[in-house]
Amino acid sequence: MMTRHSRGSPFAPHTDGETAAMLEAVGAESIEDLFDIPEPIRFDGEFGIEPRSEREIRTEMRALLGRNDDLTEFLGRGHYDHYVPSLVDHLADRSEFLTSYTQYQPEITQGFLQVLFEYQSMLVELTGLEVANCSMYDAATALGEAATLADRVRETSGSTVLVPELLREERRSVLENYTEGAGLTVETYPYEDANADREALADLASEGTVMIYAESPTVRGTVEEGLGAIADIAHDEDALFVLGSDPVALSVLEEPANVGADVVIGDAATLGLGTSYGMGLGLFATREGFVRQVPGRLVGASTDSAGERAYTLTLQTREQHIRRERATSNICTNQAWVALRTAIHAASLGPSGLVDLASDCLEAPAELADRLDDIVGVQAPVHDRHHFREFVARTDQPAEAVRETLEEYGFAVHAIDDHLVQVCVTETNRKKADALVTAFREAAK
Amino acid sequence: MSFEVPEDLYYLASHEWIDPETGRVGISEFAQDELGDVVFVELPNEGEDLTQEEEFGVVESIKAVSDLYSPASGTVTAVNEALFDRPELVNDDPFGEGWMLELDVADDLDGVLSAAEYREQIE
Repeated sequence: MMTRHSRGSPFAPHTDGETAAMLEAVGAESIEDLFDIPEPIRFDGEFGIEPRSEREIRTEMRALLGRNDDLTEFLGRGHYDHYVPSLVDHLADRSEFLTSYTQYQPEITQGFLQVLFEYQSMLVELTGLEVANCSMYDAATALGEAATLADRVRETSGSTVLVPELLREERRSVLENYTEGAGLTVETYPYEDANADREALADLASEGTVMIYAESPTVRGTVEEGLGAIADIAHDEDALFVLGSDPVALSVLEEPANVGADVVIGDAATLGLGTSYGMGLGLFATREGFVRQVPGRLVGASTDSAGERAYTLTLQTREQHIRRERATSNICTNQAWVALRTAIHAASLGPSGLVDLASDCLEAPAELADRLDDIVGVQAPVHDRHHFREFVARTDQPAEAVRETLEEYGFAVHAIDDHLVQVCVTETNRKKADALVTAFREAAK
Repeated sequence: MSFEVPEDLYYLASHEWIDPETGRVGISEFAQDELGDVVFVELPNEGEDLTQEEEFGVVESIKAVSDLYSPASGTVTAVNEALFDRPELVNDDPFGEGWMLELDVADDLDGVLSAAEYREQIE
């Protein structure tokens, strides 16, 4: 609503006089008359918001943030801390990029479209698949969209989506939202030592299966060793094999296209965002044969009338604003600015920088697990696998007590079961590992 | 501009044509002009049975999607596979090389427009 300041404000500069003149010009009695909001849907109450100045708000927020515990985090389970170079903020905050304007008009926004094209190209390179969209909301959304894509492209009928028994809650929940509407059901297959139990999976897969989903790294940080075999199980039933991963892990893991992945989903915001803001960036890549079934937005490269390379959204006829109820997806937007940050971060690292970062994520947990394993009363890692970023340790003491003691020493870890804790270590907290080990000795007693 | 409306064909109000001699089906010159550059055509498989006015496929241009409706009931005996690689044939030659499918038409055609009636509709 309009400010009531007679002389306006920096954010709503109209004076009372200007407001009155405009109302008179359009023939409205008052602002209420101009907007004409029907009585039944009008909010009739107090917002209970005290107006404060910018300076007051800053002081208050600083005090509020100061109440946070200053813990060193060894937390993972879906949110990973990688150092985001300041270059990313500086470039992403440029006004050409940081705007509420929807950056899709090719006539005016070649720069942004090029960035999104670069983002897609990086994912194509990392996955080995031919097509990547320029992002979905998050990994959970991408998983749901993968299930409906699998349902659309499968020649024969079927209705089951197979997912691992250990799956992050938000992914499972969003997947079920998607499948419920599409007449699909979600079933789980068991893990064995935090990898797919392939025998059990083969027994569960049938001609009614439309998709098999596997993750690497898994929820417990293990690298899945049987991707090729899982792909074969899926393909034997004419089902799609969908792999969940992330751009950092993909830098060192076997290329998904090589192990038979039809779709790769995941959270691309492991680059560019760090752990803040509680948001992700849905990665979605697939084979060229499914290009007309891809959900979301695709940027393509072409040439303009002068023969110059130019970028534009392409294959929009898949999308809701054109195809309405027969669109591939209800989504015809993406997280352009987050994808921009991810692309800048990835580009600043370059291929070798990405591999270095990913190598840290393989070495650091192996090293830390070894050292925790030396402590009496701790066995680590619980799973006899390669780990990426995180691993699970067993404690003779109740896990919750261990977690609390570690917190007193200034460290945060997850307690995930009665005697299991999960520890995540990347390049950002690797140097604090010594201190964590010392605290663990106390906590494990 | 005026569009070609061949006298020997029958039409639907939704701009599909059918040749009563051969059972060939396509879309009119007017329709391809309305759509603009055609980039994709989705067609049924041979052997499928269609009833009159049933959706049999989709034609896409750069910024529009249009459903295709069958001008008659019958079995699909041929599909123009050339359109999968060269959808622009629909623009270049809608009544010739841009044909879409052939129907084994069961009965005499009724419920369709004559060339004169269709011309009146688009002018």
